[in-house]
Amino acid sequence: MRTKIINYAVAFLVLLVLNFILPRLMPGDPLSAIYGEEVLVQMSPELKANLIGRFALDKPLWEQFTSYISSLAKGDLGYSYYQNAAVSEIILAHLPWTLLLMGLAIIFSSVVGIIMGIESGWKRGKLMDKTCLTGMMTLSGFPSFFLGMMLLLFFAVTLRFLPLQGARTAYGNLTGGWIVLDVLKHLILPLTSLTLAEIPANYLLTRNTMIINAREPFILTAKAKGLPDSKVRYRHAGRNSLLPVVTRIGIKLGIIVTGALFVEIIFSYPGVGNLIYTSLLMRDYPVLQGSLIMVTAFVLLVNLGVDLIYKKLDPRT
Amino acid sequence: MRKNKVVLSIFLVFLTIFLVSALLKTDISYGKTEAITYTIADATGDWGYPSPYTHYPRGPGYVRMSFIFDTLLWKDETGFIPLLAQKWHYEEKENAYIFSLQKGVSWHDGREFTAKDVIFTFNYIKKHPTWMVDSSIVEEAVEIDPYTVKIYLKELYAPFLNNVACTLPILPQHIWQEVEYPRGFQKDEALVGTGPYRLCDYNRAQGTYLYQSSPNYYLGKLKVERIKFIKVSEQMASAALKRGEVNASSVPPEAVKDLKRWGLQILTCLGSWNAKLMINHTKEPLSSRKFRQALAFAINREEIVKITQRGYATVGSTGLIPPSQEYWYNPNIEQYSYSPAKAQAILESLGYHRKNGYYWKNGEKLRLELLTSPQFAGFIRLAELVSQQLEKAGIAVSMRILDSKSLDVRVGSWKFDLAVSGHGALSGDPFILNKVILGKDFISARYDKNELLNKLLSDQLHQMDREKRKEMMYKIQKIYAQELPALTLYYPTWYWAHDGSSNLYYTQDGIAFGIPIPLNKLCFLE
Repeated sequence: MRTKIINYAVAFLVLLVLNFILPRLMPGDPLSAIYGEEVLVQMSPELKANLIGRFALDKPLWEQFTSYISSLAKGDLGYSYYQNAAVSEIILAHLPWTLLLMGLAIIFSSVVGIIMGIESGWKRGKLMDKTCLTGMMTLSGFPSFFLGMMLLLFFAVTLRFLPLQGARTAYGNLTGGWIVLDVLKHLILPLTSLTLAEIPANYLLTRNTMIINAREPFILTAKAKGLPDSKVRYRHAGRNSLLPVVTRIGIKLGIIVTGALFVEIIFSYPGVGNLIYTSLLMRDYPVLQGSLIMVTAFVLLVNLGVDLIYKKLDPRT
Repeated sequence: MRKNKVVLSIFLVFLTIFLVSALLKTDISYGKTEAITYTIADATGDWGYPSPYTHYPRGPGYVRMSFIFDTLLWKDETGFIPLLAQKWHYEEKENAYIFSLQKGVSWHDGREFTAKDVIFTFNYIKKHPTWMVDSSIVEEAVEIDPYTVKIYLKELYAPFLNNVACTLPILPQHIWQEVEYPRGFQKDEALVGTGPYRLCDYNRAQGTYLYQSSPNYYLGKLKVERIKFIKVSEQMASAALKRGEVNASSVPPEAVKDLKRWGLQILTCLGSWNAKLMINHTKEPLSSRKFRQALAFAINREEIVKITQRGYATVGSTGLIPPSQEYWYNPNIEQYSYSPAKAQAILESLGYHRKNGYYWKNGEKLRLELLTSPQFAGFIRLAELVSQQLEKAGIAVSMRILDSKSLDVRVGSWKFDLAVSGHGALSGDPFILNKVILGKDFISARYDKNELLNKLLSDQLHQMDREKRKEMMYKIQKIYAQELPALTLYYPTWYWAHDGSSNLYYTQDGIAFGIPIPLNKLCFLE
């Protein structure tokens, strides 16, 4: 157990060093990176001199690294000169929207995927199984952003039922429950596209395990006891088919922050994915670096969590 | 019975989305723009906290700030107009501008605006430089009386009215005198201005702004009470306009025809930005002016516009200034219209001979490297086309795609032959030529080999007579076109669509120092 934690700590340290070194290996001065060449055209010479002074990296590398680590330890992810705000503050403003979107998508896709997988696996070879399997195989070929575009074109542009983008109506004078409804309404399309894109993997995994489990002697015993079909299916076979799906959901949780990147861009949903995209366009490197650190820390943390939980769940260990 | 249960449930999911959305549609009246609210769509959304020191250093950031803060002068469709200064004139002997200020103007917090605020602002930007104004030009700002200020310039400076008087937002002394770190000043007081609007809300994550009209604006009543900026991607802008969710938005060129059919009004901006071919004129064979001219003859700019811009651009002028800058543009310069024959004649006169389709000299094949980056849309396609055209003319080209930063560094350190690049700011004062011809940045041609060009560029900055300055600009374009230290390929055309409820227009020479966005705050006056 201790070695596992040490492994994670080493991995995290390597990531920190990479995150520190990479921007310093970038060609050119940070000024043009931060302000972009459009502004260099307009910028006055005195401001340029002022900014060059601010970005002076004249200390030895080791000192820079220690100050970087100590500020990270204080939760300081850096400062975005472009957005003129602390990186942690910027990320925190976007994080809840991504968590809402991805969290719900993971829950829905898991529930639907598992139920469909159980039903389908139980009735292997029947018409319903075949239809589901074909449908899911087809669906799994579509990436989430493609589904998103299709849904957007159909429900928002053509039918005009749903908002074109954003997470809420800007200055719509809404109060109380209407705000919740408004947020839900904006959530429907991005959530549906992410959920639909995630269902097939969960479905296929559950279905496979279900088929294997259905042949096990304990299922025969359960049936012989005269238990109702649904109980055998869910309590006995279904429950035992969950383990691999749980692993997959664990992995998915790790990338919860960036998983919705494309969908967020399509729907202009103000999550972390959209933030990363805008920062890339504006060459706002501090924000990109901050997001990277946060995402990697999150992935490592979730992996560690899953590892620890597994230890408790798995009777063989 | 259960066979179709799952199939049914898939249909049910869709049906539910359908029904819930239809239900919600009747319940929430989102997006219905009231007559007094004007909604503007923006693809990026967030342009920073709209104070003079904290908005993002780009045109849209400035525009959001300009709704709250006024400058001494302003511009409309026709040119300079009074704003905080009622009248102004230039004292030639003293090299100073005298501004008579509006009386009875108050700051949003009720305090009176006087000459002291103007003096304070000029002193403040010397201590705390801003990206939009070069305060080093100003020698001193002096108060003549509470409503008159005199600004002494260090040297003659022709673009003063455009680049300083029309651009510098005047700050309230009673608030900013205490502020030591203006970029960190993001309290409500940081947004006390004299402008037509006040900010009610700014949401960084959602990229939205809400402005409320100032009740006693000194230039008159505002017909638009509230202005909203909301984030809408460029692809969805047309749909949002059609749905009436937004009143105005920039739109992709392909959407223009359809939007016109829907009764929307279209504004066109020609030539504020240019894509250009950077040429390394410090190394052989590109250091030869004649060789550069041969390149220009070999490149078919009209074809480039047709193919890479689908026709939505103006062919680049070899004098850099776009034809849309009617006052400054010199139409009588050599444009090097596509002519492979002329390119061939020049190359042969330089000692090259053609063999197997390519030119050779001293046993070496004529070969150039062309750098490009995916930074701007269509730049890779553009580089491919330029390569093809040069290959056709007998010049072997190896194209290299770099990330934009590496490209900038390579160009900046002269480690390139040819590179595709671009920059804006061509719609404002032509002082920009100094920055992009003589400037030291990678964006500039950094060309100082022609003494006359250097002198003209420096002199035109000090020429206070507009007509004489125009003559100089004509000469500058002519020489630049002869020297060809870089070749402007095209100026993309930009479009805005709006519903006509406010009379939007493109400001003459752009907003402030030259921002090509049709959101002049005076459009919203009654």
